[in-house]
Amino acid sequence: MNKRLSITLLTAPAMIVLLGVFILPMLLMLMLSFQDDNQAFTLKNYALFIQDSFYLEILWRTIRVSLWTVLATLLLGFPVAMYMAQASGKMRGIVTMFILAPHLISVVIRNFGWVVVLGEKGWINETLMKLGLIEQPLRLLYNELGVVIGLTDSFIAYMVLALATSMYAIDPSLSKAASILGASRARTFFTVTLPLTLPGIIAGTTLVFSLSMSAFVTPALMGGTSVKVMPVIAYEQIMATLNWPLGAALAFLLLGSTILLVTLYTKLIETKRYKEVFAS
Amino acid sequence: MKKINVLGLITFFVLILVNLPFLVIVPSSFTAAGYLAFPPEGFSLQWYSMILERPEFIESLWTSLKLAAITAILATFLGTLAAFALSKYKFRGSGVINALMLSPLTVPSLIIGISALLFFTRIGIAGTFTGLLLAHILISIPYVVRLVLTGLSTFDYTLEKAGYMLGAHPLRVFWDITLPLLRPAIVSGMIFSFLTSFDNVTVSLFLVAPDTTTLPLAIFTYMQETLDPLVASISAVVILLSLVFIVLLEKVYGLERLFGLNSQSH
Repeated sequence: MNKRLSITLLTAPAMIVLLGVFILPMLLMLMLSFQDDNQAFTLKNYALFIQDSFYLEILWRTIRVSLWTVLATLLLGFPVAMYMAQASGKMRGIVTMFILAPHLISVVIRNFGWVVVLGEKGWINETLMKLGLIEQPLRLLYNELGVVIGLTDSFIAYMVLALATSMYAIDPSLSKAASILGASRARTFFTVTLPLTLPGIIAGTTLVFSLSMSAFVTPALMGGTSVKVMPVIAYEQIMATLNWPLGAALAFLLLGSTILLVTLYTKLIETKRYKEVFAS
Repeated sequence: MKKINVLGLITFFVLILVNLPFLVIVPSSFTAAGYLAFPPEGFSLQWYSMILERPEFIESLWTSLKLAAITAILATFLGTLAAFALSKYKFRGSGVINALMLSPLTVPSLIIGISALLFFTRIGIAGTFTGLLLAHILISIPYVVRLVLTGLSTFDYTLEKAGYMLGAHPLRVFWDITLPLLRPAIVSGMIFSFLTSFDNVTVSLFLVAPDTTTLPLAIFTYMQETLDPLVASISAVVILLSLVFIVLLEKVYGLERLFGLNSQSH
């Protein structure tokens, strides 16, 4: 068969879906975000974002929640990745299985489990009350803390994967050499392990940050009406207020600020590393 | 040795943490009480028989299973064909097509959902099963393409050549040589597509009508109004169903390999 014909026949079905359900709709959405009620060109949907401090506050809250999530997944994920890098093949398989498997079960269900644990009459509060440690139930849910807990649970697998991948590539004899040369455990960690894991840290933090910025389900279920983040606001504009141009603009503003922040962050780290290399 | 133990302890703690939701949901679903509590009080199957009295959950479970099954078959078919073209032929624009195939992964589901709603409303398929299906196929294609491309990267094309030289028809070569060798990649692409569709909320959210609601969305909506053990019993059913597919995936392909963690590289 003709090569060109084969290629066309093989790729066309998937390309039709991609162009028709993804590229074309995205272009339409972009156009719509620049339209006013009379379908004329306008920048007001984007301008509103700068004029109205309400939206800036929501963006800042979204960023804050995402940063806390990045910090929590990094702090919890780092020891796990270190353990995986040192463990035997069998143990590594078990840890991988138990980190990844929950990830394949719907986020709605995982969030529900957390509601049972963290709620006002949840497991933690009931236990603490019974022990007499607290008199009033702690507020662990329907605030930013609840959202961060839910997001950390959702995205820690990505962080562990990113960190573990870069740690697997580190030659274990480097740490050995450092300790033979008399470096303490802490010194070996900060001068050998940490710098060599940096690519994994950058990959993991940017991934978890981007995912947290656009998360909708967890903020809706574990933040309730008090923690409104950008995706929730965009959803409300689309489905409740039916202001589609504004909803589309908000979604793009969210994507734009995420890309901007991630780019700034990676640039910053790269320049810092160059300076370190050239200074020494 | 001491260092490993500390790390092991933290790892154990994190593993408990990420699995805690399930460890809590399953026991709570057997409670004899009329309200949600952990630890549960007494033992009863009442909240499981309650599911049968809620047609919206039965119907949405049926919708979800049907949707996930058709998505898995079609996405695997489309994705596998495209991956074959990308792997077998070197042609101008293959880089662009490859990037396009994976691009839905790089855009937040929120934007995929909103844009699909806007477009589907224009062409009149918003809220229909067809619209939902198209969007689910779209978000599953990247996984299939990636998995099958990985499978093809180690594929030995001389085996196909040998088949031709021995006089086999191209279809027979494909059926008897190519397909069996790629089976793990294709089957895991299919299972992964099934789970991707079965779990999805953020894209479906914008595309369902009351009669096309999926199960995760039905639970999502119910949870925002009422929190009772009924959510626990339905969730337990979903957990069990998902576990079947996760175990299958682990057996066919291995989760470590699926998520790109190659333990042999150490």
